[in-house]
Amino acid sequence: MQHHSASKGKAVKKNKWISYKMFLLILPFLILLFIFSYLPLYGWTYAFFDYTPPLKLSQCPYVGWKWFKFLFLNKTQVMEFLKVMRNTFAMSGLGILTSPLPMLFAIFLNEIHCRWLKKSVQTLTTLPNFISWVLVYSVAFSLFSSSGMVNTVGQSMGLISQPIHFLDSDNHTWLSMLLWGLWKGLGWGAIMYLASLAGIDQELYEAAKVDGAGRFGLIWHITIPGLLPTYFVLLMLSVAGFLSNGLDQYYVFHNSFNMEHIQVLDLYVYNLGLGNGNYALSTALSMMKSVVSVVLLVTVNAISKITRGESIV
Amino acid sequence: MKKFNKQILIGLLAALCTLSPLAGCKNSSAVSNPAAQTAASDSTGTSGSSKYKDTIQIDVFDTQANYQGVQSGWFGKIVKDKFNMRLNIIAPNVAGGGDNLFNTRSAAGNLGDIIMTGSENGRLLNTAKAGLLLDLTDKIKNYKNLSAYPKALEMVKSLVSDGKIYAIPSKVSKQSATTSSDCNDPTYGPYIRWDCYTAIGSPEINSMDDMLNVLKAMQQKFPKSDSGKKTYGFSFFKDWDGNIMNNAQMSNLYGYDLNGTRFLLVSSDGKSRQSVIDENSYYITSLKYMFKANQMGLVDPDSTTQNYDTMFAKYQDGQIFYSLWPWLGQGAYNTTEHKKAGKGFMFAPFKNLKIYSNGCSQSGNGYVIAVGSKAKDPDRILDFIDWLYSPEGVESSCTQTTGSCGPKGLTWEMKDGKAVLTDFGKKALSGAAIDVPSKWGTGTWKDGISALNYTAVLTTDTDPNTNLPYNYTMWDSYLADNNTMLDTSWQKKMGAKTTMEYLKKNNMLSIAPGNSYIPEASGTEVDTICNQCKAIIVQDSWKMVFAKNQSEFDSLLKHMQTTVKGLGYDKVIASDQKIADNLQAAREAASK
Repeated sequence: MQHHSASKGKAVKKNKWISYKMFLLILPFLILLFIFSYLPLYGWTYAFFDYTPPLKLSQCPYVGWKWFKFLFLNKTQVMEFLKVMRNTFAMSGLGILTSPLPMLFAIFLNEIHCRWLKKSVQTLTTLPNFISWVLVYSVAFSLFSSSGMVNTVGQSMGLISQPIHFLDSDNHTWLSMLLWGLWKGLGWGAIMYLASLAGIDQELYEAAKVDGAGRFGLIWHITIPGLLPTYFVLLMLSVAGFLSNGLDQYYVFHNSFNMEHIQVLDLYVYNLGLGNGNYALSTALSMMKSVVSVVLLVTVNAISKITRGESIV
Repeated sequence: MKKFNKQILIGLLAALCTLSPLAGCKNSSAVSNPAAQTAASDSTGTSGSSKYKDTIQIDVFDTQANYQGVQSGWFGKIVKDKFNMRLNIIAPNVAGGGDNLFNTRSAAGNLGDIIMTGSENGRLLNTAKAGLLLDLTDKIKNYKNLSAYPKALEMVKSLVSDGKIYAIPSKVSKQSATTSSDCNDPTYGPYIRWDCYTAIGSPEINSMDDMLNVLKAMQQKFPKSDSGKKTYGFSFFKDWDGNIMNNAQMSNLYGYDLNGTRFLLVSSDGKSRQSVIDENSYYITSLKYMFKANQMGLVDPDSTTQNYDTMFAKYQDGQIFYSLWPWLGQGAYNTTEHKKAGKGFMFAPFKNLKIYSNGCSQSGNGYVIAVGSKAKDPDRILDFIDWLYSPEGVESSCTQTTGSCGPKGLTWEMKDGKAVLTDFGKKALSGAAIDVPSKWGTGTWKDGISALNYTAVLTTDTDPNTNLPYNYTMWDSYLADNNTMLDTSWQKKMGAKTTMEYLKKNNMLSIAPGNSYIPEASGTEVDTICNQCKAIIVQDSWKMVFAKNQSEFDSLLKHMQTTVKGLGYDKVIASDQKIADNLQAAREAASK
C-alpha cells in the first residue's frame, strides 16, 4: 500500500515536471505575445490626455472622453468617418468577393501538364508579392503618369490628344486598387491552395475517372470540395481582419484627387496621427477600430458555429 | 535529440542575427566612426585643437537643413580647425514624416547637442518644459556676439514660463523694422522668361489676366523647350503644401500673408484680414487664375503628381515660362551662359502690385538655435554658436540660401578699401563646380557650403569688416559687373538697376514691420481642427485648379467651405483673429 502511494507521488511529481517543461517551452511565445499584443494597449491611455509632444504624458492634462466626443458628436466628423468606413468596407468587401480567384488560379495551374510552363507561370505570378508597394507605385508611375509610357505612346501614335489621368483621378479608384492588389497577390495566394491540392487523395480521382468523370467533372466534384475547407479558414481570417486592409498600398497611391475614395481606416488614422501629430485623436480612433474588429470576429464566429457547427476561436 | 538541439541553436542564432541591426539604433554620435575620424585627422587645424584637446562630433537637430550627415568640405574644415568639432546634421526634412522625428527624439529625452527649431505655437515653451534644452541665462553674458542682440534675448525669455534664456533667435538685425529684409529681389513676385517676353514684343501687363495672355502668346511662339519638350506657363508641385496649397500664392503679390495665422490672410500692417476660403479672398482668386490657366492649356499636366526636383529640372530645360519666386526660375535657368545670350527669368510687374516683404527685426525670427540639455561640452558648443553670430561666422555660414559672401581670402578680398569678389568667388558664386584651393580643404565650393541652413544674422545687415552688407549681391563692385545682355535689356526697359530699386521707386512694396511677436499655443483642439481642415482645403484646391469646368470648380469650392465649416473652421479663425490682433499691435509698436 505504502509502496503504491509512493509510486503515485512519483508519477504526480513527474507529471508536474513535464507540465513545467511544457510551460517553459511555451513561455517565450507568451512573453512575445504579451510584449507585442498586450503591452501596446498601454498606449490607449494617450486617448484620454491632451498629449502635445515634446511634453511627457505626465505633463499633459487629463481630458477624459473629450476626443471620443470630438469624433462622434460633430456631424461633419461623423460624415468623414463614415466615408472612411465606406471605403474600408468597399475595398475589403471587394477583396472578399474576389477571394475565390487564387483558388481557381491554383486549380487551373494544376491542370497544366507541361511542367516547365507550370513552374514558370507560378514563379512569375508569385514574384510581384515580393515587390514592395513603393516599387509597385514607381512602376505604375512610369507607366501611367501624364508623361508615362502609356500616355507618351498614345500621344505619339495619335490615339489621344491630351494625356489621360490614370493616377490623379477619382475614376474607378476601388476597382484599380483591387486590380493592383490582385496583380500583386494572386500568385502568392495560390500557394496555399497548391499545397492542399497535393493533399487530395489521388484514389478519388481514379475512382471518378472510372465512373466516367471528365476534366471539369473532376474539378467540380473532387478538387473544389477538397479545397473548400482551406478556403473557409482563409475567408474567416480575412473577415476578422476586415478593417485592417493595409496602409501601404493606399498610402503610395493616394493624392488629392483620389483621396475621397482611397482613404481607408488605417490610412486615416495614419494621416491624423503621424501625418498631422494628433496622437490623442488617432489613438481614440484606433481604439474604435479594435472594438469593431472584436465585434466582427465574434459575429463571424457565431455564423461559423451555426453553419459549420464548429467555432474558429 | 542532439541534432534537434543543434537546429534550435542555429535557429536562435539566425534570429539574433536579424535582431542585431536593431541594436545599432543606439546613439552613435561619439567618435566611433573610423572613416570620419581619419577625415578629421588629415585636416591640420591647430588653433582649434590647442584650445579643445579632443575631437568631438556633435548632433545638430536642424529642422531647416536639407542635408543629413556630417558637414564636409571647406565649412566643415573651418569648424574643425576652430573648434576641433564635427557637425553631424540630423535633418527631419531629409528623413521625412514632418514632426515625427522631433517627437520621437524628444520622447527619448535627447533631441541633439544643438537644436534648431521653431518657437511658435508653444514649441519653445514645451521643449523647455520637457527638459530638453540647456538653460543659457547665466552663460550668455560671457559671449559678446550673442549678447549684442538684447531684444532677441528678451523675446525668447518671454516665450517660456520661467523667464530664462533657452535659445537664441535667428535672422537678428540692427536695421530698422520698416526696412525690407529682402536683398535685390523680393521673396515673391511675378518672374517670367524675359527673352520670350521681349520676343513677343513686350506687351503691357496690367493684370493677372493680361499675364495669362502674355504667357499664352509666349507658349505659341515658343512651343518647344531647349530639349524639344512641350512648353507651359506654369508647373506646380505639392511638396510644400501646408495649411493651403502652397503654389496659390497670389496673396503675397498684394501684401497679404499667412504669418503665424493658419487660415487668415493678414495684410502687412495687420489691419485687413481675409479668411482663405472666402470667395473673394486672394487665395480663392489665385485658385481661379490657376484654373483659368489650366483651361487655357498653360498648366503642365505633370503638376498633379510631380515633386520639386522634377519641376526644377523643367525650369532648367526652359520648359516653363512663369516663376512664382525669383530664386526658382533664376536659380534654375539664369546661368552665366544663358544670361550672356540674353535668356533668363526677370521680374515682370503688373499694376497694383504690392509685394509682401518682411521687415528687419532686432529681436530676430521665431526660428531659434538652442543647446540640448544632455549636450557634451556645452561651453565649446556655445563658443561655436557665438561664432555663428560673429561677422566672420555670418560671412562663412550663411552662404546656402541667404547669399552671404563667404570667408575672406577665398571668395572675396579687400581691394583699395573695398570688398570685391576674387576670381574664384566670381566663378564659384555663379554656380560653377570648381574645387576650393587646397588650403581650404577639399571638394567644390558648393559641396562645402554650410548645410545648417541657418541665418544667424540677416545678411542685408552691415558687415563691420567691410562696411557693406554681408550679401555680396548688394555690393557696388558686384552690381557694376551685372551687365550681361539679359540684365541690360531688363534695366533699359524698367529704368532701374535691380528689382528692389524698381519696387521701391514705384511704391510696390508692402513691408510688414519686423517685430518680436511669436504666436502662442492655441490648444490641442484648435490644432486638431486646423489639421483636419487643411487636409480638406489642400485636397479641394488641387481639384479646383484641375476642374473640368466652372460648375465643377464652384461645387468643389462649396464642398470645401461646408466641410471645413462643419469641422469647426470658425474656431481656428477665432484663434487666428487673436493672433492677428497681437501681430497688428506688435507691428504698430515696431514701426513707431
